[in-house]
Amino acid sequence: MADKAILYDSSKCTACKGCQVACKCWNDLPSPTGKNENVFSGSYQNPPDINGITRMIITLEEHDAPEGSLKPVAWAFNRRSCKHCADAGCVRVCPSGALSHDEETGFVRLERSKCIGCQYCSSACPFDVPRYEESGPLSQRTTVEKCTGCLDRVAEGMAPACVSTCQPNALRFGDRDEMIALAHERVAYLKERGFSDACVYGETEMGGLHVISVLKYGVEKHGEVVSPKMSPTVAMQEVMKPVTAIGTGLTVAGLAAMFALGVGYKRRTLAYNPDTQDTIDVNTGEVVKHGDGQDELSVKEHILENLPLGKGGRHE
Amino acid sequence: MSNAAVSVSAEEAALNQAFLEERKERGTRYIQRHSRQARVTHGITVISCILLCISGLFVFVPALAQAIGADAVFAIRMSHRVLGLVFVIVPLVSAIAAPKGVKHIFKNLFDTWDSDDKKWMILFFPYLFMAKWIHMPDQREVKSGQRFADGMLWLFGAEMGITGILLLLQATVVDFGATAHGVFIFLHDVGFLMIAVFGLAHIFLGGGIFQPYRGTWRLMFGNGKVSESDALYHWGHWAREEIASGEHVTEEK
Amino acid sequence: MTSHWCDFQNTDVILHCGSNSVENHPVSSKWLEKAHEQGARWIVVDPRYTRTAEMADVYCPIRSGTDIAFYGGMYRYIIENLIEPNRAKYLAGEEVPEYNFEYLLNYTNASYLLDPEFEFDPATGLFSGFDEQNKTYSNHSWHYQVESESTWDTSESGAYAWAAGEGVPEFTPPVVEHPKRDMTLSDPMCVYQQFKAHYDRYDIETVCSICGMDEKTLELVYSTYTSTAAVGKAGMVLYALGQTQHTYGAQNTRAMCIMQLLLGNIGVAGGGVNALRGEPNVQGATDMGMMVNEHPAYLKWPNTSDRSSLRAWLESQTYSDGYYTNKPKFLVSSLKEWFGQAATVENDYGYDWWPKVPKKPDYTMISSFELMQQGVIKGYFNWGMNPAHSAPNAGNVRRSMANLDWLVVADWVETESASFWKAPDMNPADIDTTVYFLPAALIYEKPGIILNSGRWMQYRYQAVDPWDQAKPDYEICDLLWREICRLYKEEGGANPDPILNTKWDYYVDGKIDPRPVAWALNGYRTGDSDFSQGKVDLLKGYSELGADGSTACAMWIYSGFWNNNDAPLDASKQPIGRRNNEDRSGIGLYSDWAFSWPSNRRILYNRASADLAGKPWNPEKKLVEWTGDAWNQIDQADFVAAKDGAAVPPDDKAFFMLWEQGARLESYGMEDGPLPEFFEPFESPVDSNPLNGAVSSPLARFTDYASVKKGDSADYPIIATTYSVTEHWQTGGQSRSCPALVEAMPDQFVEMSVELAAEKGIANGDKVRVFNNRGSVVVPALVTKRIKPFTVHGETVHQIGMTHHYSWAGVFGTRDTVNDLTPNVGDPNTQVPEYKAFLVEVEKA
Repeated sequence: MADKAILYDSSKCTACKGCQVACKCWNDLPSPTGKNENVFSGSYQNPPDINGITRMIITLEEHDAPEGSLKPVAWAFNRRSCKHCADAGCVRVCPSGALSHDEETGFVRLERSKCIGCQYCSSACPFDVPRYEESGPLSQRTTVEKCTGCLDRVAEGMAPACVSTCQPNALRFGDRDEMIALAHERVAYLKERGFSDACVYGETEMGGLHVISVLKYGVEKHGEVVSPKMSPTVAMQEVMKPVTAIGTGLTVAGLAAMFALGVGYKRRTLAYNPDTQDTIDVNTGEVVKHGDGQDELSVKEHILENLPLGKGGRHE
Repeated sequence: MSNAAVSVSAEEAALNQAFLEERKERGTRYIQRHSRQARVTHGITVISCILLCISGLFVFVPALAQAIGADAVFAIRMSHRVLGLVFVIVPLVSAIAAPKGVKHIFKNLFDTWDSDDKKWMILFFPYLFMAKWIHMPDQREVKSGQRFADGMLWLFGAEMGITGILLLLQATVVDFGATAHGVFIFLHDVGFLMIAVFGLAHIFLGGGIFQPYRGTWRLMFGNGKVSESDALYHWGHWAREEIASGEHVTEEK
Repeated sequence: MTSHWCDFQNTDVILHCGSNSVENHPVSSKWLEKAHEQGARWIVVDPRYTRTAEMADVYCPIRSGTDIAFYGGMYRYIIENLIEPNRAKYLAGEEVPEYNFEYLLNYTNASYLLDPEFEFDPATGLFSGFDEQNKTYSNHSWHYQVESESTWDTSESGAYAWAAGEGVPEFTPPVVEHPKRDMTLSDPMCVYQQFKAHYDRYDIETVCSICGMDEKTLELVYSTYTSTAAVGKAGMVLYALGQTQHTYGAQNTRAMCIMQLLLGNIGVAGGGVNALRGEPNVQGATDMGMMVNEHPAYLKWPNTSDRSSLRAWLESQTYSDGYYTNKPKFLVSSLKEWFGQAATVENDYGYDWWPKVPKKPDYTMISSFELMQQGVIKGYFNWGMNPAHSAPNAGNVRRSMANLDWLVVADWVETESASFWKAPDMNPADIDTTVYFLPAALIYEKPGIILNSGRWMQYRYQAVDPWDQAKPDYEICDLLWREICRLYKEEGGANPDPILNTKWDYYVDGKIDPRPVAWALNGYRTGDSDFSQGKVDLLKGYSELGADGSTACAMWIYSGFWNNNDAPLDASKQPIGRRNNEDRSGIGLYSDWAFSWPSNRRILYNRASADLAGKPWNPEKKLVEWTGDAWNQIDQADFVAAKDGAAVPPDDKAFFMLWEQGARLESYGMEDGPLPEFFEPFESPVDSNPLNGAVSSPLARFTDYASVKKGDSADYPIIATTYSVTEHWQTGGQSRSCPALVEAMPDQFVEMSVELAAEKGIANGDKVRVFNNRGSVVVPALVTKRIKPFTVHGETVHQIGMTHHYSWAGVFGTRDTVNDLTPNVGDPNTQVPEYKAFLVEVEKA
């Protein structure tokens, strides 16, 4: 199967949040139920950001209208959720296999049963997406939450829940190539209509996103990340695994060799006579050293003195 | 100390003979090298460190985590946090209780390197493989190589403790940001490598697995005493000084 | 609406005025976007920059309550720029493609001559016929001059033979008046000339000064929208409560009709006057006539004056010409359904059993609470509404309810009305009202019929069983009904006949069921029907109705939606259950999907989509077409296309629901004037009206109630309006019970401009106290660039907007009741309250 993608068209989106609620319903995500526990954000954007029980929100940003506009303001909407990067930092750093690429669609799958809650993915995501839900008596049972692309629906031939519920067709789902083509078509249309900053987002970012966006006022106005980059810490963390494996392996191997070569080593029993300042071999009575002076042999002599080479030293 | 015998005057030889007789009579001399507090602190730290390494591996190695399942890993992760606190708090408490000891340790760590120290360090790697043939120069209380290796363990132990605490804070109460989090994880990973390398070497030598070092485990896990002979072998300069002063010397039949 | 949702795609220009459909009718956006993509221009006129405005091409801010000035300016613009420059040319036979004179002259009453006494006095703001004492109009002088008269031919071969038939109640048929016309539109008394003179005062400068608009933007709106006056072009106006909830709300609606008629936009695909109805089934509730003076299906309820007897009703209500000549059939059939066998020609089909609405007291909604205070109303059934939260001056409502002996509330959840005595401002110890709560089933918990704004009727099956003891409304009704009847039978009582003679036999297998109700709504022949035996002989449609008792029909307009006698209990086999979404029309009529009343007509007045010869104005978007010997009906014809099997050739009778069969630019049917005239809201930030001598409407209702406590602009200089958000429905009984919706919009808020916030030292998210003489509420502020202060008559005027979904009742989210602030005054035609413009002051709480 070809890679799939969700197409989000901000110029068709009416910010009705149907998708936001549909996501909760289909994925059985709870909402706070305490009386007045939900706090108004001061905007139509509620909850104010994605969180451990909210995989996607629609964002609304107010800007002054662009030059020459017939309208006083530009109200830019966006869909904030996992972008399903082809080059996904979260997948690269996930130690437990909870995050992985779905081979069929290219979406970033989340298997919460495998999540160990280490939160490495959070540091690896350029879009600040993975969020954590805490549970357990000390709110310590932490597991990651993020958009899964409704892979369960996709497997059954359906579109993700957010897409299915979208009335103005601002969300579409299909082959990624096709979605990109539609996005370019729409951007051309928008440019014709005077939206000179309109652009396609997600075609190449992070190796290609599986959420393609049409941003009618340009990337920044929609609060989208301009040229997202893989966090350098991802590569650093990735390097550490093999380095540690090799380093530890070499150490163990070296120690084993040392051990093997050291087997059978015997040592003289020594004693020190402070009166004569002699260090004496207890068994032979031989004085091994007189006084406490610094060693006088060269390094080479140390190495060679006892080697059984030619005339040989006194090996015990 | 060279392997070669030193010739001495007959008078001196006779004195030595009498000395040896006396020694035979009075038993082996031991030098007290580590206090009880030091040994207990070291013991707890070693155990927590080893357990930390093992539990940490389950987060570090995907295959391990996947093999035992998320719930087991979760339990292990939580134990990692508890052990981590032990690993950090016990040495700190011990240090506060014995500031002189701390001073002593650090004085040794940063002591100047004399000619024997430098030579010892150069000879150390050949020695590890050729212990049967190479005799090492005498050393003071802490060998030069030991100073280096202990220093590494101190350094990376502290680094692990600090980054571990930061990661714990990040996971619970403070948000340092994604980049900082990534850096902490990286440093923690680096620390793990260093602890693994130097820890293994330390166990190999300090635990006496290495034949020439056999018996050294008693220094930390026994009564903290080193026999005169072993002391002369490992820390010749120090041993002579201690024996001469006799302050920490005991005799056992 | 005269059109339907899918028809939005056919328009050339969209005008949103008083509607924020993208937010409040999210499904509309699908069809609007389709039109937009096909090149339609999109205009939004609204006090604030809504998400609908964000989708549109042109946004024009308007001060709340000044719509008629805006429309009046548009009329003047049309006259000045399109009609006057071209009138002579058109009359001389030249082509005028930019304006549809044929439509104006033939399909509207522009050419009709008005009574010579017709007059408007700008000094007083009054039309001729005003009765100073009662503050009402006599519409006598608003009628046409009569050219000639004729009478109905009720002879056996005559067109109205039925009126003299056996079983038909006796009444004197109306005289057919043929109005005088001047097809050159030059007679000073012709509607066009009077109209032109009336709106001459509405120049762009004055309009802008009143509405707080910018001249350039307004001209752009006018020029863009009036481009639809061109022959073959269509513009559609979408409106909702932003237009209707004013003391002149009905005139606002009239104003839109007039605009659309002047532009030739009614009856065409992509045109129309489109009311976007609120909750599901508001359309159904309206059709059912859920008001004290309305009978179902847009007929009048009996009263104590001109409708006091059946004969009086028939003589005052029956039109002399057009389709409403059939009103006797509708009413008699309704009576037959109401009283069944008991209704006979001898007893006037039981007409006298119907209660007669008195002139006084007034039992409409706002007045009801006044009557409670006066002790006139002592018991109250509160069914499916929540006035303690939603009615204007809600605090007054709660205090009024405290005077009741008993209150019954039927609802889904414990609403504010069900718990009015627990309101923060009430003291339960002082209240003796006994409150009964009847838990009602949700729409998903019962089967039934639902209508959308496009008049589409669909059958909704039950999805789940009702929760706990909740019951469908009709089941609650049935229990009450049977118990009331039992008590009457066993204990007697005053006036038992209306109750005991009422036909109540809507059972299937002994259980109350909406399907026999559907039979009653559709209509059936009485001879062969017996509901108690499950027997019914359904009518094909309302053309089969009789005035002689042979048919029964509760709702003539719905007739035809449930007409399959082969499976009368199976909704899926009825027209209402159609599920073929093939678009045979190519313009989204979807005539094989569901049923659209009347007669499955998708676009009302569709005769007006073609010229006098029956040729469509726009051949690409044909609705009906005269082929030379018959009508090609792409949509069901909304006119007499054939009679007695023979095709009826095209004529000028495009609006056959009016007796004159031409649409009314001027109408004598309104309580408050034959032409929309601009007045300020009841509470206005300005004290002068440059257009006439009356500031507010002299006919606004209930303004003399003490409870109204009119606020002065000196004390309360800020205009407030109320509106809804996508996430919630009205008082939130249902939506505030959904945690996901509460999470998505956890509170109500006051939206205000950056300028006002700065003036008052308010930051976004701050708690703000909004207050006037009627109440005070604390809500969080939403400070936005999307609202700007208005410049009105040279002065800066601030406006705020408030959402109104939260109140003290509820499990997940609560807040002060915003309707404590709204004034309990209303429109004289509909009594709809003025929620959309009133005065307040704000301060940081």
